Amino acid sequence: MTASLAALDARTRTALAGLLLSMADDEFVIGFSDSEWTGIAPILEEDVAMSSIAQDELGHARAFYELLAALLDDGRDADALAYDREPEAYRHARLLDHGRGDWAMTIARRFLYDTADAARLASIGDGWPPLAELVAKIRREERYHVMHALAWAHRLARAGGEARERFVAALEALVPDAPSVLAAPEGEAALIEAGILSRSMAEAFAGWWTEVAGTLGPLGISLALEPPPDPARARAVPSDDFRWLWGEFTSVRRSDPRATW
Amino acid sequence: MTEDGNRMIDEGAPVQPPGDVDDPSRPGGVLEPYEVFRQEKDGDPMRHGGNVLAPDPELAVHYARELFGRRGESVRLWVVRRADVNVLEDLDLLQPPLDRSFKKPGGYLMRDKLAAARGRAGTSKPGARAGSHAGTDRRATR
Repeated sequence: MTASLAALDARTRTALAGLLLSMADDEFVIGFSDSEWTGIAPILEEDVAMSSIAQDELGHARAFYELLAALLDDGRDADALAYDREPEAYRHARLLDHGRGDWAMTIARRFLYDTADAARLASIGDGWPPLAELVAKIRREERYHVMHALAWAHRLARAGGEARERFVAALEALVPDAPSVLAAPEGEAALIEAGILSRSMAEAFAGWWTEVAGTLGPLGISLALEPPPDPARARAVPSDDFRWLWGEFTSVRRSDPRATW
Repeated sequence: MTEDGNRMIDEGAPVQPPGDVDDPSRPGGVLEPYEVFRQEKDGDPMRHGGNVLAPDPELAVHYARELFGRRGESVRLWVVRRADVNVLEDLDLLQPPLDRSFKKPGGYLMRDKLAAARGRAGTSKPGARAGSHAGTDRRATR
């Protein structure tokens, strides 16, 4: 890790830190948000499945925070990075700024996020081996998440009636913010130059949208899409939903900041 | 669905999950039991792990994966719709009332009868016979 860090120039390190933070925060926020279904999912089996997926995401977040902690080397560990920031300092995508809503909203959000996240993970090159190795492992788990999201998207869309109506309404509510996951990170050019990114996020975005349209088209759903916003707008200004979630996931940590867990 | 069978499901009966009975737009859908068989490592037999309730085979596989594979305890799962299982549970066929022990690989169960006969004759149990496969050999070479 130390040797691979030394090989990065200052500009690339800053850009890499930003990329890691946004990926970690995305996984952390959707993991916590979806874990709210534990105990109240539609059926017991789905409760286990959604909780397990949420745990996977928190595990991925921890792994990204650990890489970030090593990169920053400022005395903060993964827990400090995850929990000890004010809501304004989180860099999750705007798509994840929406609360979990009802089941249709959760599935719509998972479908849009998991497919976009897959496109992002597929854009990580081997320029920084610790990240490339981690992403190779994460992609094996995320494959299952996409399968799960697609299975539910198909079910809700084909169910007709209220299920379909709610699902389509949820997609329409979320789609303006969906491209935020694939907004170009600051310093993208440096990341591509260093091989940390193997392609631009604009390319990833185009591939992702083709895939989403290819899934929704046969289901008779067409969504209008805006290009991704710039990073400043894609990942800032937390919503009230997120402020509430932040209050939840930091509450135990804040109850005694000096405790050893 | 648990491995110790805490949640038994009646034989093949579909289950109506809690929708809203007063609201026809929320019928709840129909869940069916799927039986899950798991293999712990390559070459092991597939063993029955338990069952899951699911609305279709695709989600049944997902749920089987979550309940019987997410901790890395399986290398293969078979997920079978219980309604597709051909069941035989007729005790006249499976547990016939007459002595059918001669159909077992060991032949008639003679141990108790032999012991009783020896008791009457006052002889002790003979040692293990040498060349116990001699009969088989003769038959094979005839």
